[in-house]
Amino acid sequence: MKGIFSVLVENKDGVLSGISGLFARRGYNIDSLAVGETERKDVSSMTIVSTGDQRTIDQIEKHLNKKVDVIKVRRLDEPRCVELETMLIKVSYSQTNRSSLIEICSVMGAKIRHVSPKNMVILITDEPDTINEFIELVRSFGILELQRTGVIAMSKG
Amino acid sequence: MNGAEAMVKCLEAEGVTKIFGIPGVAIAPFYDALYDAPSIEHILVRQEQAAGHEASGYARVSRKTAVCVTSSGPGATNLITALATAYADSIPIVAITGQVNSALLGRDVFQEADMRGATESFVKYSYLVKNADDIPRIFKEAFYIASTGRKGPVLIDIPCDVQSAELKREFSYPEEVNLRGYKPNTKVNAQQLAKVVTAINKAKKPLICVGGGVILGNGEELVRAFCEKNQIPLVHTMMGMGVLPKAHPLYFGMLGNNGKPYANRAVANSDLLIVVGARIADRAVPKPENLEKQVNIIHIDIDSAEIGKNLGPTIPLVADVRLVFQALLDSDIHLDTSAWLEQLEQIKHSTVDHRKFSDALVNPMTLVQHLSEKMDDDAIYIADVGQNQLWSADNYIMKNGRFLTTGGMGTMGYSIPAAIGAKLVDPSRQVVAVCGDGDFQMSMFELGTIAVNRIPVKILVMRNTYLGLVREHQEKKYHKRYSGVELHKYPHYDKLAEAYDMDYFYADSNETLDGELDRFLACPGACIMVCEIDSANNTN
Repeated sequence: MKGIFSVLVENKDGVLSGISGLFARRGYNIDSLAVGETERKDVSSMTIVSTGDQRTIDQIEKHLNKKVDVIKVRRLDEPRCVELETMLIKVSYSQTNRSSLIEICSVMGAKIRHVSPKNMVILITDEPDTINEFIELVRSFGILELQRTGVIAMSKG
Repeated sequence: MNGAEAMVKCLEAEGVTKIFGIPGVAIAPFYDALYDAPSIEHILVRQEQAAGHEASGYARVSRKTAVCVTSSGPGATNLITALATAYADSIPIVAITGQVNSALLGRDVFQEADMRGATESFVKYSYLVKNADDIPRIFKEAFYIASTGRKGPVLIDIPCDVQSAELKREFSYPEEVNLRGYKPNTKVNAQQLAKVVTAINKAKKPLICVGGGVILGNGEELVRAFCEKNQIPLVHTMMGMGVLPKAHPLYFGMLGNNGKPYANRAVANSDLLIVVGARIADRAVPKPENLEKQVNIIHIDIDSAEIGKNLGPTIPLVADVRLVFQALLDSDIHLDTSAWLEQLEQIKHSTVDHRKFSDALVNPMTLVQHLSEKMDDDAIYIADVGQNQLWSADNYIMKNGRFLTTGGMGTMGYSIPAAIGAKLVDPSRQVVAVCGDGDFQMSMFELGTIAVNRIPVKILVMRNTYLGLVREHQEKKYHKRYSGVELHKYPHYDKLAEAYDMDYFYADSNETLDGELDRFLACPGACIMVCEIDSANNTN
């Protein structure tokens, strides 16, 4: 199963390595991890997505809670949270397929941020599944580079 | 006031009277400040790992947070094994390590080691102090974190220039901590308690299994009272030894691979197992997945992450052991366990212990039994690691003393430094370190500390000239292909004792054992006794 954790932590050095170290040494998966500041300067927010059986996901939550620098851990349920990710992808094109690439971007709500004679840098922000779909749609054009930020998530309501 | 003087003030404010360590340039300002602090006695050890183990022994017997100090680089990294040992056994220690000047951090200068990074998985929390004005807050927090919730070591890494820097504010030691991410739950949840009481009332064959957490939480008396009030029998893990004396009618031994077979049968025959402050690690319960199918389980622990880690599903109760058992003593529990106790007695008497020991030289079973019988009622027995540890745990006769060992990490060489720490808490209390000849040689440099400080600890060496437990493993699993395990006859313990002005005793037969044990225990000063053990003896 998938576990999405929204974790508020002290904005101090060493906190991120402490959290990633916890996952590494206990053998928990990190599918993605996104960190950033919050509305409070001294607090950072992490969104960690992991997969494992029920016991593992429960243990992750408990071990995160044990960390002194972790202020709050929230487990987010998929239908009841807003879950978004951003991707930058560099795709090659030719004169013959250029317009169909632009069309895919337009249909999928992706933005073309830079155009070179042979490739484009495309930006897309959406749910992870949609981003996966987008990757498949442009794969045949030729993917030159790809970067994803990892999921950030927030509960609804 | 500079940072170093503030550090000393903080230790004084915490009531620290003994610290264990070795100085170096990176911690020199602190040692200079210590020169003017008569209330804090510094015990100079001979290697930093011993400083950590001595703090561990001191903490376990005094039931307070203990302090060890090292310099930077190799001095600090030498301490890591002791921190890992304390972490595995949840021992409250504050470790202070000197660090290179803050401007040089990250440049790989002489004796720089990233201690926060290196100890990340071996401490409960760690600090790198960047500002001398943070010292009072950080010390207050460190002692608080080490000694509350599930206890454990906390590291304070402090650059040399921060120790020398003047405080900008006037020194004041905080009354309270303000840690928004650390609020250990100690209170008993009423709903969970009700579930526990219902489960106990339904049980026909309840059994309590106590681990080291009961002792760390000072819960021995309340757990004992609960057992007695409700006539519930008790088994324990190696770290949980000491809640009931061996002669107690409700005492049914140590469980696990190395425990009493009848204790394991008691677990298998119970219908409700109340696990208290135990990790359910592999040596105590080899197959927890089988256990959870057989019996109902109540799991009481201060650390919620222990619930479901190795054992589940259970009725969990996360709270302070004293509060739990006070609440259970006040609860309406009506049990009739007389048939169950009778069954257990039968199990005890019908379970044949197949373990046999050679009577050539000194029989290790007789040795531990006679030694622990002859020791003072409240004496402290510190078992090292290896065959000697398992023989000790299996045969030790608990009265009203303490049995200390490192059950989590199994760190060889623990017993001698831990005995030094334990003895310094109360010099009137008898302390005996029992180790193998491999263990002894991992800590024998501490004979210097013992001699200089005239610490009257007793060291009993079970000498079989092998790393016995590894030899036993190679005998059984690797067809007697003994590889790298023979220690030979060295050292000459009599000469070593003489070199450090210690008394020396020796037994190489069961006939001479008792007389030598009597003289060894009566000896007023520090002493070593060697007992020759036949290397053919195994643990099971």
